[in-house]
Amino acid sequence: MKTGLGATIVRAGRRLLSSLPALFGVLVFTFLLMRVLPGDPAVFFASGPNAGKEEIEQIRRQMGLNKSVPEQLVFYLSDIGHGNLGRSMMTGQPVLKDLRERLPASLELTFTALLIALIAAVPLGVVAALRPGSIVDHGVRLFCALGVCVPTFVSGLLLIYVFYYLLGLAPDPTGRIDVFTSLPPQHTGFLSIDFLLAGDFEGWWAACKQLVLPAVSMALFVIAPLARITRASMLVSLGSDFVRTARSIGLSWRKVVVTYALRNAILPVITIAGIVFSTMLGANVLVEKVFSWPGVASYALDALLSSDYAPVQGFVLLMASLFVLVNLVVDICYGIADPRVSIE
Amino acid sequence: MRFVSFRSATTILATTALLLIATAPSHAQSRAETLRYVTGASVNTLDPNIPGATRESFGLSMSTYDRLVSFGRKQLNGKWVFDLDTINGELAESYDVSPDGLKITFRLRKDAKFQDGSPVTADDVKWSLDRCVTAPILGKAQLLTGSLTSADQFKVIDPLTIEVTLPKPDKLALPNLATVYPMIINSKLAKEHATADDPWAMAWLKEHTAGSGAYVIESFKPGEQVTLKRNEAWNRGSPDRPAFFKRIIVQSVPEPATRANLVERGDADIVLDLQASDVQSLEAKGKLKVVSTPQYNAITYVSMNNQIPPFDNVNVRRAIAFALPYEDMFKAALFGRGMPLYGASWPDGKPLNGIYPFQQPVKLDLDKAKEYLKAAGFPEGFSTTFSFNVGWASQAEPMAALIKESLGKIGIKVDIQKLPDAQMSTLINEKKLPFFTEGIVAWLPSTDYFYRNFYTGNQRWNYSSINNPDLVAIAQGARFEPDKAKYEEAGRKLNAMHFDLMPQIMLWQPNQDAVMAATVEGYTYEFHRQVDYRNLSRK
Repeated sequence: MKTGLGATIVRAGRRLLSSLPALFGVLVFTFLLMRVLPGDPAVFFASGPNAGKEEIEQIRRQMGLNKSVPEQLVFYLSDIGHGNLGRSMMTGQPVLKDLRERLPASLELTFTALLIALIAAVPLGVVAALRPGSIVDHGVRLFCALGVCVPTFVSGLLLIYVFYYLLGLAPDPTGRIDVFTSLPPQHTGFLSIDFLLAGDFEGWWAACKQLVLPAVSMALFVIAPLARITRASMLVSLGSDFVRTARSIGLSWRKVVVTYALRNAILPVITIAGIVFSTMLGANVLVEKVFSWPGVASYALDALLSSDYAPVQGFVLLMASLFVLVNLVVDICYGIADPRVSIE
Repeated sequence: MRFVSFRSATTILATTALLLIATAPSHAQSRAETLRYVTGASVNTLDPNIPGATRESFGLSMSTYDRLVSFGRKQLNGKWVFDLDTINGELAESYDVSPDGLKITFRLRKDAKFQDGSPVTADDVKWSLDRCVTAPILGKAQLLTGSLTSADQFKVIDPLTIEVTLPKPDKLALPNLATVYPMIINSKLAKEHATADDPWAMAWLKEHTAGSGAYVIESFKPGEQVTLKRNEAWNRGSPDRPAFFKRIIVQSVPEPATRANLVERGDADIVLDLQASDVQSLEAKGKLKVVSTPQYNAITYVSMNNQIPPFDNVNVRRAIAFALPYEDMFKAALFGRGMPLYGASWPDGKPLNGIYPFQQPVKLDLDKAKEYLKAAGFPEGFSTTFSFNVGWASQAEPMAALIKESLGKIGIKVDIQKLPDAQMSTLINEKKLPFFTEGIVAWLPSTDYFYRNFYTGNQRWNYSSINNPDLVAIAQGARFEPDKAKYEEAGRKLNAMHFDLMPQIMLWQPNQDAVMAATVEGYTYEFHRQVDYRNLSRK
């Protein structure tokens, strides 16, 4: 076991190193892409009722746009080297600070959504695989199809309409916490954890209530791929020799399905879950907008619309790094789920 | 054992119940004294002077800082709006304008204090106004429109008196001092945070306030939320009384449908930027108060670049002016919520008055449009693109479709181009768009100001890129015209020229729909088009 774990760590380290050139490429590419996009941020931000040429020039200087592109790139790279991602014109704050404040919000939402999705999708997939072609299987298929074909903002707005507007069960869909609740001291940035650390259960409950609707509307969308993948790989694994053997020697149903079939079927699910997680983090703009969730995705979209370079670059860098990290975690999970992967 | 646990459970229950009963009324009480304002935009700086400041930041600064003077209010068709012609003292107890109009003397209130308790002195006023005209900030360009350009113009007479000298008797000097930018800053506090690179403490003031305003910043999360608490010592509003609400929450809610839900459910108290369709349905339900004020200092245009062919031909522009389906556009884009600037009748062919903006005698008349097009030498029409920005899509998209359809009938083929906001502003600034829709707003809506800023020079706000020396000369002359009758005459001339040259087509002044809880009172349409929290109270 120890050698297995060691091998996993070595493999993970090697992966991390090999992803550095890719990260650098992403950095330079986004930088150039933003400069190529039409639209001058200085003109956009100089939009006071009297902003003239002088104001535009001044903003250009402030953003460093008066220099040539290669020069800007050198400055940008050296800034990144010093851990400085630049300043957002939109919020007026350093990008690093903005991202640090907003990332936990996005992560908390995405984790919760992924958790809900996994809890729903894996049993659904397993049940469907156990009785292929049955009513249950078709039911699961219908549910998945519905989840995928309703865009997240539609399901989000519907959930708000029913649970907030009509029934009044959910709190108002404005961000992570009711405006009248005071925030706990910040440790992790995850409100649900910070409230627990502060021992404020009322606050914790309030934060969880805010989390439910957006997480569910995101989860609905990703249940389908997860459930379908679980079903498919469960079918393969249930039809394999070792399951037949396990059945024939009279092992309990639980042991056969959960220990042997599911553990062997879970690898593709982990892969997909990793991809789904990274995609959700960046692509949940609509959910963040609908629920006024102060996350990184809506931040990046706003920045993109106003050609605010620094936040977009910061966001892409963050996403790329997270993607690398998620891949690493997926790798490690592989090792745990199936020790054979670690053998090279 | 069982008995004990039962007893403790009952105790807990009883305590909780008691607590609930005890806290419930006080919570309700504090909710009534709190104003929750939701908006699609956000505050990005606490100093509205910082380049890039959002409109929401302008609105906020009105409550965190005081100015020397402020605008009064008047009723326009039963709605309260700001009044450019009534200037009241805010930090100034009184002011005098010298007979030649070249000197304005302000006497400060003796009891005015900054939020840190130190008195407001003439030195603070001088420092703040100096900052506004010297530092590289937004106030500079604004105060320029009131002939305020140099720190030499502000002189401290004694600790409570300050004198402003003008090179010419500029009517807009005094109103300019009531706008957002020339706010009065606690100079001692700000100077403590100034550095050699940043002598005007711009970096510090962006994140902190040092004012004497009605509200103190409690927390500021850029892009998300600002909470304010009342400055109990503030008395610049109604005599001897601080502002009504104890607490203000300004919250960014990007989704307009969510904002509509919030205010309808009573969770938010006031919202300004709802979709026209939502406003209409909320108004029909009758539970909420809807105050619709035509934004009388804002105009939506269909603009044509007068330098790019074929729009350099005046007859083409006239043809377009008679080929727009005004009524349909007004209904589709705004649900009729606004003040139309078309369809006037001028019996003797002359403008009815000298006020800009005005209703032009244009309406949908395809035969007339075809005649103009023939006169322009385009009997078969031509092709062009019509652009609008994405941020405006809900209004501009139906407009663009109707324009395309209608112009198609006279042979003009229109391609619709939807541009991201930053790209749109860049192209307008570079004068590359031939045909587009945009809006403007003027804080100080006087006729000469509109013509000088929106019809003059090679600059962004001259959407039509018109370059007419006569028009410029009349507008510049009107600026310093003390005689009201002559000013009116100049205005009539300018308006007649506008209709004759048709540089761009004024469509309408959109309503600002403030939707609020039935209990909220005192809403006033302000020049900055945001909520001034100090005006509001609850029944």
